[in-house]
Amino acid sequence: MISAASAAAAPAADPNGVLALANMPVLWICALGVFLVIAVQSVIYMMAARKAAPAAGLSQQELKTTFRTGAIAAIGPSLAVVLVAVALLALFGTPATLVRIGLIGSVQYETAAASIAAGTVGAELGGPSYDQQAFAIMFFAMSLGGAMWMLATLILTPLLKKGEHRMAKVNPALMTVVPAAALLGAFLSLGFAEVPKSSVHLITLAASALVMGVCLLLARLPGMRWLREWGLGIAILLGLAAAYLAQSAGLAPAA
Amino acid sequence: MTAPSPTASATSATSTTSASPGSMAEFDATTSRWGRLTMLAGLVFSLAGPLYLVFFADLGVTATALFTAFAAVAGTFFVIWIIEPITYFPILGPASMYQAFMIGNISNKLLPSALIAQARIGAKPGTHRGGLAAVMAICGAAFVHLLSLLVFVGILGTWLISVIPESVTDVVRVYVLPAVLGAVIIQAIVSLKQVRATAVAAVVAALVQFVLVPLVPALGMAATAISVIVTLVIGWYVRKREPFEPAVSASGTAEPGDSASA
Repeated sequence: MISAASAAAAPAADPNGVLALANMPVLWICALGVFLVIAVQSVIYMMAARKAAPAAGLSQQELKTTFRTGAIAAIGPSLAVVLVAVALLALFGTPATLVRIGLIGSVQYETAAASIAAGTVGAELGGPSYDQQAFAIMFFAMSLGGAMWMLATLILTPLLKKGEHRMAKVNPALMTVVPAAALLGAFLSLGFAEVPKSSVHLITLAASALVMGVCLLLARLPGMRWLREWGLGIAILLGLAAAYLAQSAGLAPAA
Repeated sequence: MTAPSPTASATSATSTTSASPGSMAEFDATTSRWGRLTMLAGLVFSLAGPLYLVFFADLGVTATALFTAFAAVAGTFFVIWIIEPITYFPILGPASMYQAFMIGNISNKLLPSALIAQARIGAKPGTHRGGLAAVMAICGAAFVHLLSLLVFVGILGTWLISVIPESVTDVVRVYVLPAVLGAVIIQAIVSLKQVRATAVAAVVAALVQFVLVPLVPALGMAATAISVIVTLVIGWYVRKREPFEPAVSASGTAEPGDSASA
């Protein structure tokens, strides 16, 4: 098999032929495979949830409500991920961006992994040394890294489940106190981690929190209940607007 | 076994006692079987692309280079590989674990969706109602996410690059996390209504992020896991103890109390 890009004339925007390689049909097929697997999994889970709903005290209407609420709440974060992914298309090509940034991993992890991996072959992402070989090595390393996450999940989940059952028997109150405490601990810690990064990070965090607080207050008014689902999207948008303004005002070095 | 009530034991032990069609035990069995299989399939597809490039694209990639690159990534992240599943397990529950770690973007998309959906129907995390609500919410989030990725990145991506100003994508890339987290923190505090756990989490997270991490930067990657574990332990000791805790306890696993709102 000949390198895909050496056959095609590399366009000016793609001097090392990285994008020609990164957008090969085989990679598209693999990426769409991941999409398909997630879609199939969702369908299986939804069918299982529908069947189990009565046993869990959940009405069919509530099943629909939770699906719709989850979908609407995801619009804001999804569009944010889309914007980041678009920005990275020029580096990774479409299939790798879809799978690594859009699915499986997350923006922070994957870009860090990519630049670490590229660094080991002396290449800098997007620099003149970033060639087809560097791309293949980087793509391999970040994909195998992502696979480790799934492997850990596959191995640890059954173990944790056993532990959970055992704890639930010792003291079932654990099962109501633990998830709430874990959720609060995780989000507050992740949020506070943003604060020392720059004053614009702090402003963004505070603006988003403020907008969400206002949305949740307004959502108590009759006719405003839709804000419970749309609040997150609105808060993200206005939070980013605040970041844009704060940065333009010179509060942080340009991104 | 010292199961406190028949209802509580029904969930954990039971394919024989309550495996009528539609039981939670059956849901558990289906989601863990198919969750694992689909996750394995996702793992294979995600590795197939890079493996094809390495073996068939004739790029002269050496095994040493691959190993070095992976070792560098592993050195940075192997702690997170193990810590993240453990950190999110109490929040997601076993069924959603197989969804979340394949769909990705857990803290900035899936957890908020699940939390908002649970709040919407008044279900508590950790109950069966909460678990099913999270599963459905993650399915809904996955649907929106797959669709928006396919349309806006897969199909329109190259066109969008040319029309969106770089200053905008830069701001989104750098500040997307605080923009999501600020809102989610408020949502979590409001919908969980756990005053004590909130206070504990705030103090613990602040101490970890503003005192511990600056003192011991190496702990940076494990900071959230440390916050979660310490919050869990302290939160457990200062929890509001109901005088009728056994009844509340039973609702934790089999939720007769929870179904009252259904």
